[in-house]
Amino acid sequence: MHTLKISMLVAFLSGSAVAVAAETAVRQKGRLFTPNEITVKKGESLLFVNDDNITHNVYSASTGNQFNLGAITPGNSTPVTFKNAGNVDIFCAIHPSMKMSLKVTE
Amino acid sequence: MSSGTRINRVLIGLGVVALAAATAGTESWAEAVVGQTRKVELPRQAEASAAEMRDAYRRPPAIPFPKDNPYTAEKMVLGKTLYFDTRLSAANLLSCASCHSPAYGWGDGQPRGVGHEMKILGRRSPTIINAAYGLIFMWDGRAGSLEQQALGPIQADVEMNLPLDQLLGRLRSIPDYKPLFEAAFPGSGISAENIAKAIATYERTVVSGHAPFDAWIEGNEKAISDAAKRGFVLFNTKALCSNCHGGWKFTDDSFHDIGLASEDIGRAKQLPEIIKMQHAFKTPGLREITHRGPYMHNGMIGTLEAVVEHYNSGGVDRPSRSDLIKPLGLSAQEKSDLVEFLRTLTSDSFSTTVPVLPR
Repeated sequence: MHTLKISMLVAFLSGSAVAVAAETAVRQKGRLFTPNEITVKKGESLLFVNDDNITHNVYSASTGNQFNLGAITPGNSTPVTFKNAGNVDIFCAIHPSMKMSLKVTE
Repeated sequence: MSSGTRINRVLIGLGVVALAAATAGTESWAEAVVGQTRKVELPRQAEASAAEMRDAYRRPPAIPFPKDNPYTAEKMVLGKTLYFDTRLSAANLLSCASCHSPAYGWGDGQPRGVGHEMKILGRRSPTIINAAYGLIFMWDGRAGSLEQQALGPIQADVEMNLPLDQLLGRLRSIPDYKPLFEAAFPGSGISAENIAKAIATYERTVVSGHAPFDAWIEGNEKAISDAAKRGFVLFNTKALCSNCHGGWKFTDDSFHDIGLASEDIGRAKQLPEIIKMQHAFKTPGLREITHRGPYMHNGMIGTLEAVVEHYNSGGVDRPSRSDLIKPLGLSAQEKSDLVEFLRTLTSDSFSTTVPVLPR
């Protein structure tokens, strides 16, 4: 499955260096999480991108990595950083057919 | 991380953009760290052509049955028998069909269900039409399968009020049930699991009939009126209906607050942390809709005309209301066309026979 890496250019306070942090984008077009299976290391982030034409929610109740993005309207994206290793089941509360599996490794 | 609207630490240690305020609408729940919401550019999406719109509404070729409960004729016969048997209730007065009756589009025609000792329930009895294609069940989605759903109302004290051990005792005392269970579940006997599987199998066979709308989708241009055709276009465009009622069964199996003035929190009972789930209920399908009034989760709207009027008004504006619900500005002609279209979703040959019950 196609995976989109979005890089963020982050300037250090000193202005003397530039670091690049990568986020894996999870898109929502067509009421599907794409990709819907993914593995990241502890401390890494996913960027949930609503590239669909309707509002979506993204949440997980998996212990250690709970989060809830409320309502994400089309054209918005929100990063989530996972702090604990484990399996994370992610859903859209509005559209229960939207589900994905995340594995967070040490 | 603390809860509430809070500062999220993103990319700790990297510097100047590491701190970002949580955006409005971002709710905390939080062990993972939620960063700042930001805009992304989306390519403009082409509007669907009329042909593409119609293609999305073609009927599927076959009823799906789950791998762990495949269809058999014997299971269906047993399930139908159980479905219509009032002995599945404590008072011997209510069957599944009492609230989900073929006479009322597989609902009960009442604003809200009526349970044990004539108690008025909190919500309308939902139809079971096309449940085979469902993803999640009950108005608030608290059942994940038809098998799980089937045993709920039997045991609920306000509905059929019959504990499972009593149900099993009753069925085992009725001689003619034994061969029905043996045929459906050889060697496994009368059990709660088998009752649920049999009822679910029967329910999956209750599929909406071939309606004038289907004939039109299949190419018969005379099957529906010009007004209904205009209504179909409105349904998929200006009126925004298809965002939730799209596809051949006319539901997205999803949860939306459509702005009804009701205290019932709906799906939020399962997902209380998510604002959009307050007052949200599962989108009902629209097949056989003219037989299924009154409408909405609590039967508060009596006619299709009034339903369209509700959506045109946008209902109660509150944080949980779906972003798809807003004043539509439909003209009187457009509202009439929408209702005309909705009437084409009812078939003219949708009936069933009632079984003779075991003694």
